[in-house]
Amino acid sequence: MTTSLRGTAVTARVGAALGVAVAVCFLTGLISHFIQHPQPWFWWPTRPVWLYRLTQGLHVTSGIAAIPLLVVKLWSVWPKLFERPLFGGVVRQVERLSILVLVASMLFQLSTGLLNIAQWYAFEFFFTTAHYAISYVAIGAVLVHIAVKLPVIRRALSDPVEDVAQGGVVGPTRRTVLRGTWLAVAVATLVTAGQTVPLLRWVSVLAPRTGEGPQGVPVNRSALAAGVVRSARSPDYRLTVTFGARTRAFTLADLEAMPQTTHRLPIACVEGWSASAEWTGVVLADLIAVVGASADSDVRMISLEPPGPYSRTTLPARHTRDDMTLIALKINGATLNLDHGYPCRLIAPTRPGVLQTKWLSRIEVI
Amino acid sequence: MNVVRVLLVAVGVAVAGYGAVLLWDNSSTVLVRIIAWAAVGVVVHDFVFAPLCAAVGLAGRTLIPVRWRAPAAVAALCSVVLVLLAIPVYSKPGARPDNPTVLDRDYAVGLWIAIAAVWICVPLYYLLASRLPVRQDQVVHGERADDVERQPPSV
Repeated sequence: MTTSLRGTAVTARVGAALGVAVAVCFLTGLISHFIQHPQPWFWWPTRPVWLYRLTQGLHVTSGIAAIPLLVVKLWSVWPKLFERPLFGGVVRQVERLSILVLVASMLFQLSTGLLNIAQWYAFEFFFTTAHYAISYVAIGAVLVHIAVKLPVIRRALSDPVEDVAQGGVVGPTRRTVLRGTWLAVAVATLVTAGQTVPLLRWVSVLAPRTGEGPQGVPVNRSALAAGVVRSARSPDYRLTVTFGARTRAFTLADLEAMPQTTHRLPIACVEGWSASAEWTGVVLADLIAVVGASADSDVRMISLEPPGPYSRTTLPARHTRDDMTLIALKINGATLNLDHGYPCRLIAPTRPGVLQTKWLSRIEVI
Repeated sequence: MNVVRVLLVAVGVAVAGYGAVLLWDNSSTVLVRIIAWAAVGVVVHDFVFAPLCAAVGLAGRTLIPVRWRAPAAVAALCSVVLVLLAIPVYSKPGARPDNPTVLDRDYAVGLWIAIAAVWICVPLYYLLASRLPVRQDQVVHGERADDVERQPPSV
């Protein structure tokens, strides 16, 4: 009476969509990795200023879209898990093993990623290195899986979705499964994407961020967590700029006395949220010119924060010479909130938020 | 085509191997935790999540009238996805007192509103689908071999 809703027609179509989501997720993830761990061959532009906002927003959005796709894809093949013979010959064992690696690495990537954007570190390993390493395992397993299944995929995609002689009653069909899957992807996207697409904020009921925060911008690491509450407010605060043997210490008043520039730039977090703001401050290239350094230099940004993975970052020369790269003193017209990096912070186009060093204490021209 | 497949396998094995090499940099304790997380994910999916979904599907097939099944199945899928996405935010396990800009929504209310919105669509779809013109092949699809139309009244 009823034909099975499962079938290669469904598996191949949902699998193709999942493949696209995973490819986007992997590539945008690689981009984010190489911005944070620069390689000589890697080139990352400074325009358009929202480029990282886009790529990292896509990374998290495609990862979330992959969740319903993976759920349906695994549902469509789940009975195969119990097919006889359970183990079979060597070829069958190798195939089953490759699928185990594929499923395990995909579940690992999506679960750790989803937990990480909610800052729930239930896993007791360092997120970034594990997520990065397993991404290669996952994408490798996907390639092997596509290779093994290629003839089946080609046949399934050219065949009609429904069996020809369907008969039966008007219940769910394979078309229902496919439409339901696309709908579930849309729902998953709508309820989370508002943390980077302001228009969707009101429907994104499950987004880890509303996009609100002090002075209209969320915070990822607070001054309290960074342990800089006292040092940032100290009257002895100085921003030291060095170039070789030349050193110059600026008070906050010195910085305020320099020519001020305002730019609208997004801050885009690796965790997928982003927000645009008006930043006002000193152009970095002008600041390092005071110690006689060329704007064509890599520059090390050092925070008041005690040494840790993100207390110091290196800004590549391409961003140093960009006239939109600021040492910001103000955000949206008001003095920087302590949690936004008071007394001053770096804000540059197309950079991950984690590299927009806050509570600057020292700038070293390399 | 076979060349493409062989190439894909070779590249795939190499890329996955590179991932394994990267993993190898971890201490054995951390490596065990990573593998355990992945293994638990597979076990939970294959032997808890999937059987539960299958059971719900089977129950739905016996309890829900056939015309309601398609929209109900889609609503159920959307609900499952919403619940999965809500897991890390529902009780805000990642919230920290020093940063109120993370997890700054009422996710419990949000989840229930979203699920309610999804299920409201089921009767709406049912109403809409019954008002839309029905194509003949759909009627034929919906007929079983023993379907017999009522005979026109004899004159």
